Amino acid sequence: MSPVTENSKYALSLRGLVKRFGGVEALSGATLEVERGTVHGLIGQNGAGKSTLIKILAGLYQPDEGVIEINGIRHERLTAREVEKLGIHFIHQDRLLVPSFNVGESLFLGREPRLNRLPFLDRRSMRKRAQDILDRYFNLRLPANALISELTTAQKQIVQITRALLDKPSILVFDEPTAALVRREADILFDLIGRLRTDGITIIYISHYLNEIEALCDRATILRNGRDVASVDPRSTPASKIASLMVARDIGEMFPKVATTIGAPVLTAKKLSKAGKFRNVSLDVRQGEIVGLAGLLGSGAKDLVRVLFGLDTADSGEITIEGEQGRPRSPVAAVAKRLALVPEDRRGDGVALGLSVAENTTLASLKRFTRSGFLQRNAEHAEVDRLIEQLAIKTNGRFAPVRTLSGGNQQKVALAKWLSRKSSLYILDEPTVGVDIGSKVEIYNLIGKLAERGAGILVLSSDLSELIGITDRILVLFRGSVVREFRSSETTPDDVLAEATGALTPHHGEERHVG
Amino acid sequence: MSIAANPDHNPFGLQSVGQYLLRYAVIVALAGVFAFFSFATTTFLTSANLTSILVNNFTLLAIVAVAMTFAVAAGGIDLSVGTSVDFASFTFVSLVLAGYPVGLAILLALVSGAAVGGFNALLISGAGITPFLATLGTLFIGRSTQQLLTNGGNPVYLPQTGISPLFSFIGHGHIIGVPVPLVIVGLLIIVAATLLFRTRFGRVVLAIGVQQSVARYSGLHVPGHIGLIYVISGLIAAIAGIILTSTVSVYIPNSGGAFMLNAIGATFIGTTLSREGRPNVPGTVLGVLLLSIVANGLLLTGLSFYWQQVGTGLLIFIVLAASFLNRRGRVD
Repeated sequence: MSPVTENSKYALSLRGLVKRFGGVEALSGATLEVERGTVHGLIGQNGAGKSTLIKILAGLYQPDEGVIEINGIRHERLTAREVEKLGIHFIHQDRLLVPSFNVGESLFLGREPRLNRLPFLDRRSMRKRAQDILDRYFNLRLPANALISELTTAQKQIVQITRALLDKPSILVFDEPTAALVRREADILFDLIGRLRTDGITIIYISHYLNEIEALCDRATILRNGRDVASVDPRSTPASKIASLMVARDIGEMFPKVATTIGAPVLTAKKLSKAGKFRNVSLDVRQGEIVGLAGLLGSGAKDLVRVLFGLDTADSGEITIEGEQGRPRSPVAAVAKRLALVPEDRRGDGVALGLSVAENTTLASLKRFTRSGFLQRNAEHAEVDRLIEQLAIKTNGRFAPVRTLSGGNQQKVALAKWLSRKSSLYILDEPTVGVDIGSKVEIYNLIGKLAERGAGILVLSSDLSELIGITDRILVLFRGSVVREFRSSETTPDDVLAEATGALTPHHGEERHVG
Repeated sequence: MSIAANPDHNPFGLQSVGQYLLRYAVIVALAGVFAFFSFATTTFLTSANLTSILVNNFTLLAIVAVAMTFAVAAGGIDLSVGTSVDFASFTFVSLVLAGYPVGLAILLALVSGAAVGGFNALLISGAGITPFLATLGTLFIGRSTQQLLTNGGNPVYLPQTGISPLFSFIGHGHIIGVPVPLVIVGLLIIVAATLLFRTRFGRVVLAIGVQQSVARYSGLHVPGHIGLIYVISGLIAAIAGIILTSTVSVYIPNSGGAFMLNAIGATFIGTTLSREGRPNVPGTVLGVLLLSIVANGLLLTGLSFYWQQVGTGLLIFIVLAASFLNRRGRVD
């Protein structure tokens, strides 16, 4: 459709982009040049400017300065419609697909083929075109009448990609495509990207994971603080070099582990079972101890946490918290027993985006600031200000809605909520997901301090080097059972992963239980 | 730096005036309709008419709208506020008619209104039915119940004589020159605003309304608070039923339902007063005032009664649109 200037070597050339939001510069002169027909990686920590750059390419933001050239043709400004006409498509992790539509409807939403220009949908041609692409690239039969809500994350992604391919795209942008995929699904995706490249489609691949960049990309641009700091060949550049370019910080000081005195047990669970989730799980966490829980999706680790915090009930087993026996029947009871949970779904369960920093921070400790039913605002605000300062929460004041904070700072608010009251056991579920590297280190420090003060801490993390770096011990769950316990100082991510995937568990070596 | 060079500092510029007008759309609309009717009619701007607006148009709707504000603040809605009004009215009339002391009748009328809310609480917190459907069900059940109790909807009149003076005092009395209904509504507004804005209870309700799962994960007692909200809503609506009955000396089955839609309208007009778009008592009160003035003013201009609904609808559109523009302006 669009005229292609063959003498241009670049499918895409964004040069010297500057984008300001109020006083903040999200991009301060970033350049991304992608050669036609290559797979180009875009990497950087959270807040480095990746998403701003991509939103400019998608026509969602207009840059304040800089040049946009697509197929050698300069564009003053892009709109979302032009971008689609130019054949640029985006595959997002959480790109909206209507859950109640079926696969066929989703694929053609908004551009349904018509029957001989009559106002009727040409369902037969829709089905045929979709099936052609599904067969060719995915070698799988996705029933065109399956509902989106019935699909797995990986299958939804396939629908998105298929939808893009129906338009014969020239550039495909994958935004963190593997974040919610299991290994086997990711392998299928990598295979697919290879075939798309052979077909001459230019691919931009955004990821946190250096091993993916190394395996897939012909070239990679590294963003840091809104600038491109380097463009490298990831196959010939050592991962450690790339990592240090991304971070500009010595990895050694990432996990500041403090030595603590381990005291009496805070939490003891004995032979906890819940049908279909986990069985006979026993664990204990002591004062000053940081215990890690490792397990893939479906290992039962998440279900265990829900039971500990009273969100679900166990079928059998005992829980003892600070010497007092009794399973918490609700979060209300768990909090009364001085448990604290920082949940994985930060924006859904951890912080209320529409409430202010202050309202979120004191939500679990309102009793402290209440006299005969009335809120004592001065006391409340003093405590909020203290925590904002202690956790270095970057906010436009205590009354700013949490929605306006970055991911890392939202997470700090989720933590501050529990620091405003005294808890004896902190359960942290993926405490650093989507958190920028600076805030990560601050959160690690904070976890260390809590342990130092005698709290017990239970951490779940899918970042195994993080888990090993900050914990004393790690329990590995596989298919609902604790299969192994490691001393964190004596193990490696590979060992933990091997146990978590069941590779070392007899009889279960071949089939993997996921989802 | 000169003032002109700084776009943020522009106190007298058109843009900032526009933003200001949008931000306080309710107040602007209120001033606008007030001015309009003052010029358009000779009778609007008289003390007798203004008092009439407050007593006849404002009072009952304000009470019901405050009840609605509680439910909306908790993230729900109460379609059965009118049912509470009716049940309170029925209980009040029946007990006074049967010769019970007015004080006791008032108390039991309040209880009956709260009981309607309690039924909602059971459905919502106990059975997990969404507030919209639960209170809609209550609305239908309440309607049939009243028809069954009154032989298909016959009004229950009180005799003109032999009733304790306390009865008519509620609807027609004065306390230091102020009509009693206005005193009651004033007190209610202050108590309700304090409860929602200054207490722990109000904060918890707000958190539940904004993001329920966060409240749950913070160890707050979510079902208990939601249940209590509907009891409170029913209780407050019952006050309107008592005042209504005392004013007209009659119970007319299913008359309370008339307030429900206006109460919802006023509550949502009121949310525009809050920067975060939260339901709030002062905003709701302004919303009620706005609707009351329009209802009264349109009547005075000689337009048909049925144009009231059109006026109300247009106002809700205008205020909500202004608020939307204001919010979009801030995001840009």
